[in-house]
Amino acid sequence: MPVPSVEQLNEDILRPLVRTSWRYYLAVGILGSIVLAAVAAFLHQVYSGIGVSGLNEPVFWGFYITNFVFWIGISHAGTLISAILRLTHAEWRRPVTRCAEAITVFALMIGAAFPIIHLGRPYLFFWLLPYPSERGIWPNFHSPLIWDAFAITTYLTGSTIFLYLPTIPDFALLRDKAKGWRRRLYRPLSLGWTGTPRQWHRLEMAMRIMAVVILPVAVSVHTIVSWDFAMPPVPMWHSTAFGPYFVAGAIFSGIAALIIAMAFLRKAFHLEEYLTPFHFDKLGKLLLLMSLIWAYFIVAERLTIWYGNDSPEMAVYWSSSQGRFTHLFWFMVFCNLLVPFSILSIKRFRTITGTVIASTTVVIGMWIERFLIIVPSLERKYLPYTWGSYRPSWVEITITAGTFAAMALLYMLFSKFVPIISIWEMKLGMRQEANSPQPIPVETRLPQIVAETNFPASGS
Amino acid sequence: MKRQWGMVIDLDRCTGCEACVAACHAENNIATVGDDQAAKGRTMHWIRVERYWEGEFPDVRLRYQPVFCQQCADAPCESVCPVYATYHNPEGLNAQVYNRCVGTRYCGNACPYNVRFFNFFNPVWDKPLNLQFNPDVSVRSVGIMEKCTFCIQRIKTAEIKALAEKRELKDGEFNPACVQSCPANAMVFGDLDDPQSEVARLAQSNRATKLLEGVGTEPNVICLRSVS
Amino acid sequence: MDRRNFLKIAAVSSAAAALDGCGKPENHLIRFIPEEELIPGVAQRKPGVCTQCPAGCGIQVRVMEGEAEVTRHGQVGLLSMGLAKKLEGNPDHPVNRGKLCAWGQAGLQVTYHPDRIRFPLRRSGPRGSGEYQEISWDEAIKDLSSHLSSLKSPGKASPVAFLTKPLHDHCGVLIEQFLAALGAPPAVKFEFFEQTVLRRANELSFGHHQLPTFDLANSNYVMSFGADFLGTWNSPVSQNLGYGTMRQGRPGLRGKFVQVEARMSQTGANADEWINAKPGTEGLLALGLAHVILSEKLRPAEAAGEAGARIEDWSKGLPDYAPEAVSKLTGVEASRIQRLAREMAAHAPAVAIIGGASLAQTNGLANALAANALNALLGSVEKPGGVFFTPQPPIPGLAARKEGASVRELCGGILAKSTPVEALLIYNANPVFASPSEWRVREALEKVPFIASFGSFVDETSILSDLILPDHSYLESWVDNIPESGTTQAVASLAPPAMNPLHHTRAMPDVLLDVAHQLGGDVGKALPWKTYGDMLQAAFDPLRSHPGSTSAKTADDFWSEVQDKGGWWSAGITKSPAMRAANPSIAPVKVSAPQFDGAAQEYPFNFLPYASQQFLDGSLAHLPWLQEMPDVVSTAMWGTWIEINPQTAERLGIQQGDLVEVASQHGKLQAPALLSPGIAPEVIAMPVGQGHEHYGRYASERGANPIKILAAQVEPQTGALAWSATRVKVKPTGQKGKLILLGGGLRESPREFHHR
Ligand SMILES: Nc1nc2c(c(=O)[nH]1)N[C@H]1C(S)=C(S)[C@@H](COP(=O)(O)OP(=O)(O)OC[C@H]3O[C@@H](n4cnc5c(=O)[nH]c(N)nc54)[C@H](O)[C@@H]3O)O[C@H]1N2
Ligand SMILES: Nc1nc2c(c(=O)[nH]1)N[C@H]1C(S)=C(S)[C@@H](COP(=O)(O)OP(=O)(O)OC[C@H]3O[C@@H](n4cnc5c(=O)[nH]c(N)nc54)[C@H](O)[C@@H]3O)O[C@H]1N2
Ligand code: SF4
Ligand code: SF4
Ligand code: SF4
Ligand code: SF4
Ligand code: SF4
Ligand SMILES: [Mo]
Repeated sequence: MPVPSVEQLNEDILRPLVRTSWRYYLAVGILGSIVLAAVAAFLHQVYSGIGVSGLNEPVFWGFYITNFVFWIGISHAGTLISAILRLTHAEWRRPVTRCAEAITVFALMIGAAFPIIHLGRPYLFFWLLPYPSERGIWPNFHSPLIWDAFAITTYLTGSTIFLYLPTIPDFALLRDKAKGWRRRLYRPLSLGWTGTPRQWHRLEMAMRIMAVVILPVAVSVHTIVSWDFAMPPVPMWHSTAFGPYFVAGAIFSGIAALIIAMAFLRKAFHLEEYLTPFHFDKLGKLLLLMSLIWAYFIVAERLTIWYGNDSPEMAVYWSSSQGRFTHLFWFMVFCNLLVPFSILSIKRFRTITGTVIASTTVVIGMWIERFLIIVPSLERKYLPYTWGSYRPSWVEITITAGTFAAMALLYMLFSKFVPIISIWEMKLGMRQEANSPQPIPVETRLPQIVAETNFPASGS
Repeated sequence: MKRQWGMVIDLDRCTGCEACVAACHAENNIATVGDDQAAKGRTMHWIRVERYWEGEFPDVRLRYQPVFCQQCADAPCESVCPVYATYHNPEGLNAQVYNRCVGTRYCGNACPYNVRFFNFFNPVWDKPLNLQFNPDVSVRSVGIMEKCTFCIQRIKTAEIKALAEKRELKDGEFNPACVQSCPANAMVFGDLDDPQSEVARLAQSNRATKLLEGVGTEPNVICLRSVS
Repeated sequence: MDRRNFLKIAAVSSAAAALDGCGKPENHLIRFIPEEELIPGVAQRKPGVCTQCPAGCGIQVRVMEGEAEVTRHGQVGLLSMGLAKKLEGNPDHPVNRGKLCAWGQAGLQVTYHPDRIRFPLRRSGPRGSGEYQEISWDEAIKDLSSHLSSLKSPGKASPVAFLTKPLHDHCGVLIEQFLAALGAPPAVKFEFFEQTVLRRANELSFGHHQLPTFDLANSNYVMSFGADFLGTWNSPVSQNLGYGTMRQGRPGLRGKFVQVEARMSQTGANADEWINAKPGTEGLLALGLAHVILSEKLRPAEAAGEAGARIEDWSKGLPDYAPEAVSKLTGVEASRIQRLAREMAAHAPAVAIIGGASLAQTNGLANALAANALNALLGSVEKPGGVFFTPQPPIPGLAARKEGASVRELCGGILAKSTPVEALLIYNANPVFASPSEWRVREALEKVPFIASFGSFVDETSILSDLILPDHSYLESWVDNIPESGTTQAVASLAPPAMNPLHHTRAMPDVLLDVAHQLGGDVGKALPWKTYGDMLQAAFDPLRSHPGSTSAKTADDFWSEVQDKGGWWSAGITKSPAMRAANPSIAPVKVSAPQFDGAAQEYPFNFLPYASQQFLDGSLAHLPWLQEMPDVVSTAMWGTWIEINPQTAERLGIQQGDLVEVASQHGKLQAPALLSPGIAPEVIAMPVGQGHEHYGRYASERGANPIKILAAQVEPQTGALAWSATRVKVKPTGQKGKLILLGGGLRESPREFHHR
């Protein structure tokens, strides 16, 4: 990796914060309109009743819960990957962590909105929270939805801190470089950071603790989301494998989202020198691994059900293998296994374009996977007389489209105010490199204990 | 006194006449949703008479199976409700507190019998059809779940009356609306914990089965059916 | 440890800190949940009579205080009044013993229907436009009286016609007395599913011009030839009661039930053995059974008495009805006929029931006589477990009930100008909807210069009227009823109004009395009562001297006790009067195959319209509870459908829900296809009841009306419409129809889900 100068680094990374092209405004305008349309659709639903969706008896959950699980899954990109990479001191993580962590926070915010969007009486969502009401009413701690409420708020808090902590030195840098309103914005955000060794030490300690703590939280969040399904006796939901299956799926889709985000940032903000084919190759391999793990879970799940031949479960099984969901099922397999496997297992194809194509199909495939977990089971629950079918309405489609737009929009706005690559971490990496007797090839950089190195003064 | 309300349905008697269906609507202020909503699968039949075809013409059979809330002793709908809107009452009923429901519809997914019904819109009662409202039963609004309550209002009324008269409730003293109407006397309601009751006696029948017993919900509705 | 407790412990241990619980923490968690706190309202139970179908069940009306928006003296206001909240069966009533059918339950919506006519109306637009203008009751009654008095010419028959459904109450008596005093012919009674054939057959076989009553509770073997007796036919509630007991009410004894029909009805679905016989061959099958019983000497031919004598060659052992011969015509295997006959003879008491489509054939009377003869042969007439005839209560005026002309004759007469009708009064009959187009009922009625209707709703017939005098609902008025069948006790049901009228309506009999008094003269004298209640009191008083449900001695006590009980019924089982000498005017009949309208090549399917479980003949289609109550066999709601055997459908390229066209020689209609495994491949069936043009917001413009395409075929002996004798052809239209099913059209059995 060619090592750019510190000035070059500052210039490159800070460029998007100060220069805005008309294309940016256009994109924000389009995304904003889609988000507004989704908000309008939601308000329409609140006003008229959730009947404006396609939900019915007995398919009580549809697009909204699919989106919920999907976005919570996507959120695993960031914090989880970044924490793992930090804990293993993978040097190549440096340009990647910030944009990964941001995905987590935004995806979680969007995902967490869905349990509220899908409520029959969304204005009462706070009844799910254990606040001290004067009537002495507490939520039902037996309900996985309450576990969700806890898990998601914990994860959201944790990953926001996890994103925020390593941004403090960069905020300080911005504070020092900026003038006017920006200065006023970054001053409080930098929390009085001056780069004293004490501050560095505390930041380092906090990051280490957070990296350790956030991992089990991330795993538990998706496990608990899976328990929303696995706990009640619904055919093909009620499965012990759902915890690891969902976590694996989450990481799978999270990596895919990260790859797409990185490729987008690289192009949009001309970060070619920082986000290199090397990173995409690494993440591509990870994606391939997750694809195989995902396929393993699918086979394990479906084979055991087929072999067990329990009639209520078989009804759901056949509905996705030979019934109305066959095409969707095989398309999912195509997206999640065939495409990533054929692209990523061949080194020549594991390019930026290759990984982005694979990631795109994985994101699509994983959305479908969530849909196929939720809807076919509800359509074919036990008594055949009550079997039904589900078709989303324009309201659900609009809101779903709105969340994708919201994700992109949040990301774009974020990149206007926060350096999307951690400047100080990059510098630290460069310093280490400069201090070493001979240049270290990126691939062979040894893990080092950061605490033992000299800390750079902020902004220098 | 501890009670376990329960019901026996004799499938050898049930003729599929659906008097129970109409009676339940009338007793419990259940809304009609109209053709468009019905086509979307959003009707509110707290009790329905399922029918299943067997065989091919002319050796064809059709079986009826009335299905409503089985008042499960181990009700999966209860544990999943985040706000205790559906809970187990001291007399073994799966009770529903409409005001508390926030509309997650989770209980509806968890119920293996699909007997929980959701108000996708505010129910419409063209005036003066609203004058029929049974004042002992809450009228539900948009966004909440409802279901068969074993006509809890009738249970309470009878209990209060017995209490006022300082006596025990008598078996068969009152009945839910469906049981009361059933022209074939296919349904019997009562206290399963009272060994003297008709319902407890019938529950011992060698024709007794429970719907989806294997799911482990421990229903308090028992179906009688000859093996043929 | 079960799941529930595990979850509780897991949840509680994590939440315990937050809750600071004491004692058993799980109790603490749910201590805050209120039991639904309830202060039950104060309810009164008032007696009533169900008028939703002819069976005449006794009801109890649960009345509670409430606030209603009502119109009084031209002003709308909130009035606190007793409101009917629920209908329940009267536990003491001999017909229904506290039970009620779905129609009876839904009766509440008649009173509260948003489209009820709320005040008297005079036509203001062209006929049939539905444009009316509100008038006062004084005006309305004066209008009607002046019309009727202008038509009176001494010495000549009055050109006034009265059209009603068959009435089993004193309204019917009042109407006949009114018409007689006017010098007009007896009322024309109309209902689509008329029972003329069966009454006539029972008169011929047993001397009772009456519908039968079955003691199913004591039967060991029931064979029904097309009668939907658990659903829509005769006295469904009492028949369900008996059926339940027959099946499981007697320890160790479970009666067998066999149903013969070409389309599986709600009733047929309950059968142990379901037999598909060709439409209209039910009588042949009955005689096939009789042949076996006779030839195997299981019962003597003489046992059948008069009923046997009605059948040609009965005493010779029915040589033409050997199983092989019958098998060819009916499609039922000879060996099966033999087995069934032996079973029936061995399992006394056994009973045969015939009704519905079997009688709506050109050979309907013969079919009925054959089944009657079979019953007589089995020794089941007026024996426990057999067929009975409900004794009529000793009320002198009842004998005055008269047979009138049929709607077909009336309309034929009007169109041919042979029957002069200057004024027509209509009460609870809708022949414009429920008659074949061939009869041209609308055209005929349009020729009548003045039509007045007592209807509560604008329907296809009442929309032709010039004056509407809306009746109270049956919860708002005096009601009485003499059940024709359904019990072995003599019954006269009676109830005072259960609630005050909601709207500015008036009871039809009271209006007739007012009109009679305004007309004065003979008419006034013939109807001396001030109100219908007075008339009923006078009519019921003679019952006081008969042993029955009340022991009151004085007239006043008797009257109030009868009102409290919901009627009078004789003590215990009363024998019906000795059989009248059978009418000898008809020669013994030969039971042969039926005739159908339409050539078999061009019209390959038998068309079977059937009484709807939801709406009977369509008169209940305006009630939203019934519209949304799924038909139990098809599971369809809010619409109509055409039942086709799946093989036939496949052959014709028709799939579930496809809009198909059914055409007879007399018209065509379109409705979605319902593929049903329970219908013969050569039969197309369709429920009657939908397809209303005008009948309130819930029924209007919904579905198609199969009656309209029927041929005007009649049963020749009785003149009854043979509504099951039309052939049709069927083709897909290429479009999808609106078929709303509750139960997804699935075939899987729930059995495998038991004991999983
Ligand atoms: N007009 C009129 N006013 C009255 C009375 C009257 O008869 N008429 N009666 C008076 C009397 S006696 C009383 S006790 C008061 C009662 O007055 P309130 O205490 O206001 O009682 P409710 O109307 O039952 O409303 C309780 C609220 O709690 C909500 N709720 C249900 N479950 C939960 C939960 O789990 N968490 C939270 N946070 N909220 C929940 C319900 O949706 C509802 O909005 O009214 C008094 N005011
Ligand atoms: N279905 C249902 N049941 C409920 C509730 C609910 O929300 N829904 N809420 C519950 C609650 S919180 C409560 S507090 C109870 C209230 O239940 P109740 O205490 O029964 O309250 P009310 O029905 O308002 O009034 C009782 C009677 O008091 C009479 N009254 C009024 N003023 C006076 C007076 O000065 N002297 C006398 N002697 N009588 C008077 C009234 O006319 C009325 O008949 O209901 C409980 N039951
Ligand atoms: S039948 Fe369904 S709704 Fe009723 S208690 Fe059981 S799980 Fe709950
Ligand atoms: S829909 Fe209502 S009752 Fe059901 S789980 Fe949600 S809050 Fe509880
Ligand atoms: S018990 Fe009551 S609520 Fe339940 S089905 Fe019967 S009538 Fe309806
Ligand atoms: S009312 Fe009784 S006989 Fe009729 S369908 Fe219901 S349970 Fe069966
Ligand atoms: S059978 Fe039904 S509709 Fe007919 S009178 Fe009885 S309750 Fe009423
Ligand atoms: Mo209260």
